Amino acid sequence: MKKRWLIVAAVVIVLALLPLFISSPYVIHILNLTFLYIVAATSFRTIVISGQFPLGHGAFMGIGAYASAMAAKWLGLSPWISIPFGTAVACAVGIVIGLPFARLRAVYYAMVSLFFNMGIVQVIHSLGRWSGGYSGLTGIPTLLGFSKTPYYFCFLFLCLLSILVLYRFEHSRIGITWKAIAQSYLIAWSVGINERFYRVFAVAIGCFFAGLVGALYAHYNGVIGTATFSFMATFMLLMFCVIGGMRSFLGPIIGTSVLVLVPEIFRSLKQFSPYLAAGIMIFVVFFLPQGLVSLPGLMLRKMGKRHAP
Amino acid sequence: MLLEIKGLTKYFGGLSAVKDFHMSVRQGEIVGLIGPNGAGKTTVFNLITGILQPDSGTITFEGKDITAKRPHEVAALGIARTFQLTPLFPFFTVLENVTACFHLHPRSGLLDTFFNTKKYRLNEARIREDALGILRMLGLERFKDEFAVNLPHGFQKLLGMARAMAVRPKLMLLDEPTSGMNWEEISNALSIIRKMRDGGLTIVLVEHNMEVIDICDRVVAMNFGQKIAEGTVQEIRENKEVVEAYLGGAHVA
Repeated sequence: MKKRWLIVAAVVIVLALLPLFISSPYVIHILNLTFLYIVAATSFRTIVISGQFPLGHGAFMGIGAYASAMAAKWLGLSPWISIPFGTAVACAVGIVIGLPFARLRAVYYAMVSLFFNMGIVQVIHSLGRWSGGYSGLTGIPTLLGFSKTPYYFCFLFLCLLSILVLYRFEHSRIGITWKAIAQSYLIAWSVGINERFYRVFAVAIGCFFAGLVGALYAHYNGVIGTATFSFMATFMLLMFCVIGGMRSFLGPIIGTSVLVLVPEIFRSLKQFSPYLAAGIMIFVVFFLPQGLVSLPGLMLRKMGKRHAP
Repeated sequence: MLLEIKGLTKYFGGLSAVKDFHMSVRQGEIVGLIGPNGAGKTTVFNLITGILQPDSGTITFEGKDITAKRPHEVAALGIARTFQLTPLFPFFTVLENVTACFHLHPRSGLLDTFFNTKKYRLNEARIREDALGILRMLGLERFKDEFAVNLPHGFQKLLGMARAMAVRPKLMLLDEPTSGMNWEEISNALSIIRKMRDGGLTIVLVEHNMEVIDICDRVVAMNFGQKIAEGTVQEIRENKEVVEAYLGGAHVA
């Protein structure tokens, strides 16, 4: 237990000092995006553990991004106000959508939320000039100026805070209740669990962080387009979770880091990066069905050492 | 009267699964609900617990009308149940299966839970103790860290009862608590059911097995969704209509 916190503290310190040794803004940029996607993927998994498959998660990033960006650009709000506003809008839409969706289960939930994702993209397109339509929204006021490094510390801090909050949720009675509902809603009902409340609660939490990520991204990048929030983005989050390991809290964090950073390490082969991702995916599905997080345990067992699960 | 069911009717399409069904349960009783397959016994349980809504009729529990209540509200009033087919959470250990079911008592607020306050930690410690106590009573304590799916069938059924106990119910509905058990397991389960009753619980159980019915104070027999007889075990055994329902008309003459 104590050892685990020491490792976490060491990783945090290394990450906090990292920009001192990196001069390339491009590398900083990639790390910034990694922090944002880690939060998005972790919040995706939070909804998954409550027994719902949120294939519309990208849409909530989009809602957060566009609500914040449009409020800042057209109403002249400071990003410091518009980002909480965008986050709140994504969370509110999540609750409104989550209530009727909570009647659906399994693949039906996944299908309907996927359609919701596609629908939201069309809605954003149809807002015309206000959302920039197909060509995207440009000239969004930035949060911390144009240098990449200040964002690094900001996103690192928010990423750690978000992960801590989501960790607390999962490892408390709330998380146990979510997992219970996912395994058998009939039993959950029979012991007094209000299934609809807990499912919508999970969606609200997940959408809150998705909206936050979207809004931060909008005011970081300065330009947004719907492609970033299409169902392809949702599938990317799903891939991060699956590759890292859906069963473990660390899964999406590891999965995101590997899938964003590994193609960058082999940047000279950039045109092959989709194939690299696909290769990792196939490898994981066949040989590590519990995801990359199960790799150290498997290796330890192979080496004949005893390993506490 | 703890539970009172009046004129309960439920149609599935054109088929009447339960029709004008009456039944009452007194405090401290063990009541058996018997009948051939498809007689509507489990449907009655589903109607009581709010999983299904009746087309007509009323259900009162401790004088309160619970006919239109949702399942989790019914549980909060003190009615727990077990299921015939889905007895457990497969990915939880035996102990977690029970602790996860302590949702109602003692209850921690969302903020207490999130911030891991002292109150929440005390509650969780108490839940663990109580859950272990229930497992001890049912003889499942030695399996507490085993994954629930790995248990033999008989113990999985007992675990279902352990989960229902976590609700701290006044009324316990047991849906075929001994199905698929061998004789040793059945007699163990029966002694546990008696122990529950001696602890102050009122029990209604659905059964097929006439030997198990012996522990009931009173038996209600159903066929085609209707009550065909009610009385002591002996009376039901000798009732013509019941024997007919079980064996078919031709055998009776």
